[in-house]
Amino acid sequence: MDMAFKHRVIAGVVLAWAGFAHADAQLDRAMQDPGNWAAQAGDNYNQRYSALKQINAGNVGKMQAAWTFSTGVLRGHEGSPLVVGDVMYIHTPFPNNVFAMDLKTQEILWKYEPKQDSAVVAQMCCDTVNRGVAYGDGKIFLQRADSVLDALDAKTGKVVWSVKNGDPKLGAVNTNAPHVFGDKVITGISGGEWGVRGHLTAYDIKTGKVAWRGYSTGPDEEMLMDPDKTVTWTDGKLAPVGKDSSLKTWKGDQWKTGGGTTWGWYSYDKELNLVYYGTGNPSTWNPSQRPGDNKWSMSIWARDLDTGKVKWVYQMTPHDEWDFDGINEMILADIDVKGKKTKALVHFDRNGFGYTLDRTTGALLVAEKYDPAVNWATHVDMKTGRPEVVAKYSTQQNGPDVNTKGVCPAALGSKDQQPAAFSPKTGLFYVPTNHVCMDYEPFEVEYTAGQPYVGATLAMYPAPKSHGGMGNFIAWDAGKGKIAWSKPEKFSVWSGALTTAGDVIFYGTLEGYLKAVRLSDGKELWKFKTPSGIIGNVFTYMHQGKQYVGVYSGIGGWAGIGMAAGLEKDNDGLGAVGGYRDLQKHTALGGSLTVFALPD
Amino acid sequence: MKPAIFCSLAVLMASVAVPATALSEGPLYTVVEGYKVDANTMQGFRTWRSAACDRCHGPNQEGLVGPSLIERLKVLTPEEFKTTVLGGRMAKGMPSFGENAKVSEHIDQLYAYLKGRSDGAITRAKVIEIEQ
Repeated sequence: MDMAFKHRVIAGVVLAWAGFAHADAQLDRAMQDPGNWAAQAGDNYNQRYSALKQINAGNVGKMQAAWTFSTGVLRGHEGSPLVVGDVMYIHTPFPNNVFAMDLKTQEILWKYEPKQDSAVVAQMCCDTVNRGVAYGDGKIFLQRADSVLDALDAKTGKVVWSVKNGDPKLGAVNTNAPHVFGDKVITGISGGEWGVRGHLTAYDIKTGKVAWRGYSTGPDEEMLMDPDKTVTWTDGKLAPVGKDSSLKTWKGDQWKTGGGTTWGWYSYDKELNLVYYGTGNPSTWNPSQRPGDNKWSMSIWARDLDTGKVKWVYQMTPHDEWDFDGINEMILADIDVKGKKTKALVHFDRNGFGYTLDRTTGALLVAEKYDPAVNWATHVDMKTGRPEVVAKYSTQQNGPDVNTKGVCPAALGSKDQQPAAFSPKTGLFYVPTNHVCMDYEPFEVEYTAGQPYVGATLAMYPAPKSHGGMGNFIAWDAGKGKIAWSKPEKFSVWSGALTTAGDVIFYGTLEGYLKAVRLSDGKELWKFKTPSGIIGNVFTYMHQGKQYVGVYSGIGGWAGIGMAAGLEKDNDGLGAVGGYRDLQKHTALGGSLTVFALPD
Repeated sequence: MKPAIFCSLAVLMASVAVPATALSEGPLYTVVEGYKVDANTMQGFRTWRSAACDRCHGPNQEGLVGPSLIERLKVLTPEEFKTTVLGGRMAKGMPSFGENAKVSEHIDQLYAYLKGRSDGAITRAKVIEIEQ
């Protein structure tokens, strides 16, 4: 790769290629150079794979901290910085400051400090996280907590345009990273615990004008669904969703406060011109209050980038009873599925099942447990596509004010938003997982606009009768639906993984270690204790001929605040080695970036 | 059968402009066996749940991202408790519940329930009503 190419300024010319939408030339060029980390996943496929191999399995043991940077903010640090050419873009949790740093001099070129009403903090369910900025068309896109999407001039940090994406007074806030696909900036919305109605929205990259908005629930036209053309997996084949596919699955107008928020990571296949993402839990957490399948919460979606029209949709957890949001990333990869070369979409759901679908058609190919502890369903019926729920763990069947005990996984899922990685060298997926179970007690709750609308009390603890820890880092064969290897961890693995051409996988731990493990079997090759627990995603880049690996530390997020040892006396026998209190023995709050390299 | 624990608070908040319930007479809470409580305290528990206070203060009030209420209620006066809940402490991330009718109407009951937890008289977060 011609490194000089990185230093060339590319004019933001919008190129129109035959067969797909207007690509953002600048971003496309930047992503093709493995020296950059130009998007949150490094690419549009959510593969989190880098072709760099200066740091490899043979020498990673010598890796050292090269430099560090304090963000000046406490609380949970998710996502990662971006690197484009000589500039690194660093973001923070609320108040969502952005720094542009010159990598040659390590000077701060500009700093953007948005003015946000601090009241928004109280409307955020699970810490004040922000999953990072996006780059494209000479701009940096910041999705602020107060729902405002800012487009900043990448050179100066000046606001080019700014749009309000939701109403934080109603609990509609944002934690997701915006994504640049073609000539659009795509963003979602959070607030399922406030009864916010989810949507995915595309803004014009030049002007910030709304191109389209597709809701997760409600009338067909508001979801941008065509009853005859939009298909879903039904009875072993793909069939049209039919009229009012969402309305039919809600009582009265509950869909208006029905959740299905969109706070995860999105992916894009340029050839198919489809955007893929997942929707979150139906509101409330008390299933008895919302009869029906609650479509299309808990679903995988494929929308056309230009129009937002839904090509296909698949609901993983109809009528959720456990808060198993379906928002985790959709990883696009061309792999062998049951002996057939397939354009696949692979998704590790909160519900504990790893799904493999044909990303062109939406056909369901594989759905298997990626943590043996998963017990709320026996399996997914491959004909209907529905999970077979175990009565004992059904909070619907046990009813409100009954504590349903021992459900695996816990509400935070066998995996939460922390993204997995793919290696084209092995064809396997490397997944940071939670190994946590829960007791779940739903109760009656009324909707009040702008107030929490939860309706369940939870206690979480490490998976019983296992290794005693709360996490595993696993390698997964998505073609077969099998775990290739599994490495136990003391705490949930809440950090985004990174695979590289150097046959090393990186991930962070909640105690604060950045770890390098061997691609072939997960053997630990190196670790380093960073200043705080890691819930950020590992990234890599090349600068002046040297490869760097970096990660945010800064404990928080649901992993940090939701892991209370909420055990009643009768649960104490579960060997609760984990839990929040135990985590406090290892780490404290504080946001920083640590960047590593091989010694000169 | 353990004896019931009564706790009264003769000097109750007069300065806060909220719909005060007649809690200034009689016991603040009544609890039997550590988890069977009077109707008022039960209402306090329901209020605690409906406002999802556990998201920040933990399912057992022992603190998460927000402080332990078991500890805080040993320090806060009833007035300070009301001011904090109804007015919020934005800088610390504590929302204001003044607009939440469920909370503002039942603030005294909420206080009674949490005070019972803080005093150690109510021995677990989940309570049930004493059968009349």
